Amino acid sequence: MKGFDTLDFASVARLADAEPATQEEARLDQARALDRFLAEVEKRAFRIAQMAVRDRDDALDIVQGAMLRLARNYAQRPSEEWKPLFYRILYNGIRDWQRRSAVRSRIFSIWPSGSRGDDEEPTDPYEHVADNLPEPSRRLMADEAMQRLESAVEALPARQREAFVLRCLEGMDVAQTAAAMGCSEGSVKTHYFRALNALRQQLGEAWGP
Amino acid sequence: MSNHTDTEFERKAREAFDASVDAVDAHTSSQLNRARQVALAALDRRDHSMLRAWLPAGALAAAAAMVLLMWQSPNVSVTPDDVAAGAAIAELPASDEDLDLVTEDPEFYAWSAQQASLVTNGTG
Repeated sequence: MKGFDTLDFASVARLADAEPATQEEARLDQARALDRFLAEVEKRAFRIAQMAVRDRDDALDIVQGAMLRLARNYAQRPSEEWKPLFYRILYNGIRDWQRRSAVRSRIFSIWPSGSRGDDEEPTDPYEHVADNLPEPSRRLMADEAMQRLESAVEALPARQREAFVLRCLEGMDVAQTAAAMGCSEGSVKTHYFRALNALRQQLGEAWGP
Repeated sequence: MSNHTDTEFERKAREAFDASVDAVDAHTSSQLNRARQVALAALDRRDHSMLRAWLPAGALAAAAAMVLLMWQSPNVSVTPDDVAAGAAIAELPASDEDLDLVTEDPEFYAWSAQQASLVTNGTG
């Protein structure tokens, strides 16, 4: 048979080697895709965490934890699922932080004030590095708008806050938001509707209808 | 993306948030970048650790099956020495630390496997 005549040992060896090479390529593709995804969401996730915990370093820890968990546990999942999974992990991290923070503040409320270990802040080597930021006047206006929004969002109940952040600020659709929040699509719509109404009342007509 | 028409309010809120994301400082961006690299490095470790997690269980199951075969087989006479050898074989790596020993001291485990085959053949 001609087909077998042409199938020499070298060809068989090449076929045997092909599978691991393809696996390696698939692994590299997955790593590149995850890198792109995390690069897209990292700053947004950081700002969301910072809005929730009001502490830069804690927000960084929460985002790093979420990235690690996604890479370790869910990298094999289809990339379309990464966004809701990542934000679900992120909000779990935020809730854990808030629980720990509540316990800490209860403990410190009965602790002598001198023994909290308030060490001097280490020097920040990036303190004088120039940032690639918008011009000061535009930045100031944006800062003021964001500060007002942050204060208003902070006053919302937790689930309304999550629905507003994911749906409005992150632009996720109802199904993705439901997956990220671990609730039904109907609940997302209700939380989001209430959040929008509360925020409009808080921020007034200047923010638009 | 949103599947409904955004109101003026939603558009403004998103713009304010996007501006605050763009305003994240260089130090924080650098730390986020580093955190991402740590997470990506965990991808490799995850592949490796999955293998490491299953190896001890597999080795232990194989050793247990071998000891069971030794006891059950009518053609093999089991002496106390054989039982001791079986017990030694059963002490195959059961943790990550033990697996490091496998890679550091392969001769021991080669010897261990040889002992196992001698015992099952009834020549040991």
